[in-house]
Amino acid sequence: MKTIAAVLIFTASAGHAAAQAPAAATAAGCPLEPVKFHACALPKAKSFNPPRTPDGRPDMQGYWERAFTSQDIEEHGAGFGIQAGPSLVIDTPDRKIPYQPWALDIKKDMVDRYISPLASCFPPGMPRHVIAPASHQIIQAPGYVVHLLEYSHSYRVIPTAAGAHVPSPVRLWQGDSRGRWEGNTLVVDVANSNGLTWFDNAGNFFSDDVHVVERFTMVDADTIHYEARIEDPKVYTRPWTMVSALVRNKEPGYELLEQACHEGNRAVEGMQSVGLKPYPGVTNIRGGGR
Amino acid sequence: MRRRLAGAIVAAFVLALAPATARGQALPRTADGKPDLSGIWQALNTAGWNILPHPAEDGVPAGLGVVDGGALPYTPAAAARQLEHRANRASRDPEARCLLPGVPRATYMGFPFQIVQTPTQTSILYEYAHTLRNIFMNSQHPRGPIEWWMGDSRGRWEGDTLVVDVVHFNDQTWFDRAGNHHSEQLHVIERYTLVSANHINYEATIEDPKVFTRPWTMRMPLYRRLDMNMQILEYECYGFGEAPRSGN
Amino acid sequence: MKRLSWAVAGIALLCAVPVLAHHSFSAEFDATKPITLKGKLTKMDWVNPHGWLYIDVAEDGKVVNWAIEAGSPNALLRRGLRQTDFPIGSELVIDGYRAKNGSPTANGTTVKFADGRNFFLGAASEGTTPQK
Repeated sequence: MKTIAAVLIFTASAGHAAAQAPAAATAAGCPLEPVKFHACALPKAKSFNPPRTPDGRPDMQGYWERAFTSQDIEEHGAGFGIQAGPSLVIDTPDRKIPYQPWALDIKKDMVDRYISPLASCFPPGMPRHVIAPASHQIIQAPGYVVHLLEYSHSYRVIPTAAGAHVPSPVRLWQGDSRGRWEGNTLVVDVANSNGLTWFDNAGNFFSDDVHVVERFTMVDADTIHYEARIEDPKVYTRPWTMVSALVRNKEPGYELLEQACHEGNRAVEGMQSVGLKPYPGVTNIRGGGR
Repeated sequence: MRRRLAGAIVAAFVLALAPATARGQALPRTADGKPDLSGIWQALNTAGWNILPHPAEDGVPAGLGVVDGGALPYTPAAAARQLEHRANRASRDPEARCLLPGVPRATYMGFPFQIVQTPTQTSILYEYAHTLRNIFMNSQHPRGPIEWWMGDSRGRWEGDTLVVDVVHFNDQTWFDRAGNHHSEQLHVIERYTLVSANHINYEATIEDPKVFTRPWTMRMPLYRRLDMNMQILEYECYGFGEAPRSGN
Repeated sequence: MKRLSWAVAGIALLCAVPVLAHHSFSAEFDATKPITLKGKLTKMDWVNPHGWLYIDVAEDGKVVNWAIEAGSPNALLRRGLRQTDFPIGSELVIDGYRAKNGSPTANGTTVKFADGRNFFLGAASEGTTPQK
């Protein structure tokens, strides 16, 4: 696998504009394209009995790769060094994020004005953490599912015991996650966002009132169906849903490495030198005028 | 009747054999039989300010120190450098720029951390700057030279003690706010021993032939955070203020 | 060689393009201004999220030190490379794209050593914002 990956690295360098879209690829016998994946994967998941942890829960542990990048969660073409990708939005009918008109206006200029929070090495927030670059690991211990990300050593702790969210004044980059098992699906309720993170690199955003309900379901031993239902009446005209596959990385001996992002980050100066500013959250953009 | 008596004798025998605390209670164990270090822990001392004995200063409580022998065996050059670091700590301390704290400083910075224990990996999630250490169990360090802020951690059980060997450090972190420091040749051996359900005896032995003339050891209890609904939160220090601070 | 399923090939492709989808390449660098730089390596910073190579380039009789943004060193580490494989003083040829702000900075795509070793620096991958 390492050799093959190395060959592909050199091949990929040969023509940036010719970057392939992985639309034809599959996981668990399902196409990766999100609408098709969603329709195909959930019925298969119903008949899959996953391996169990010692405390009897589905064992999702291991290293995982996202099926699509988090460059832009809406449909986008190939660009310099990036792959084309489908929309991860499966519900709205037009597969676009249902912004209110004022929000769509702001979104159009977002990347021309603000530095992507991930570029400043901040935690990605939800749901971006689940589709963020690049190496992911899930570990489980009784009462917890923990999702580690190599990028900027971000982590998210999902307690699975019953409990309330933290008090409202406590705002978190990663939001506050509370999980529960519904059959073989891990359902995670996320609140208490600080509103300072994006969905992707394209400036798709939410307010600090966002409420996310995620569902993680193993489709087969090497595939997770990930779904996030997003509600934010301040920003959208209606709730909407995104879906993506997580595919197991089976490279023998694979481990997460340290990725000390903030420590060596010189990208911020570069972006500030061309006039980009730190993203202040949509309340501050809207309230402060443009 | 005989069976119940036999059962009681067996139970008493087994209980007597179970590793017990001073209070006579068995330690919580994982499914694979190891002491269960999972949970949220915090050190309760002044080592974050200064690992050596120190008097109080404005904003700094007095401390008995956590280092065996109460002194650090610096080489003469390193001792001089520590004094310079201390005099210039407002600008030189990596904590001032919200940089990763290194090992063992992450343990006693005064923030809680969560241990998540599986048979193949013990991960420690520190609230401070979302610092993360993955202690891979029963495995080899990768080949160097590698320089990481938190080093590379490999763990194994020696009886009921988790022993963690850490190498592959850079020279950028400090042991405290007082300028106590190391080089990239730092080698740390930690020992985590669960001595009751709610406390761990923690020891860290430091070796660094470039900076110290001999190894030395620090030790401290780690206490389980028993607050209702306890969870680790976030301290994203480089996000405070209007602009994200550069790491450089 | 084992036959790869599409799924694995797709994911391998995804892994192979260094996946640093965290910021906008096009805001900082000019995709219409490709550049080739030849010079001696003076420093290599194995930091994240981007590593940096610094090379002394002879320009109009002067020597200018260029800063080249590369990808994460973790990709190099996983391929068994270490900092010692990039000795200071190595003669390098780097292809990349100039920074818009006029400084001697570039986003590197490939680096070639005199001994024929050739590496994709992967700094620009997934850095571009989509066309509006």
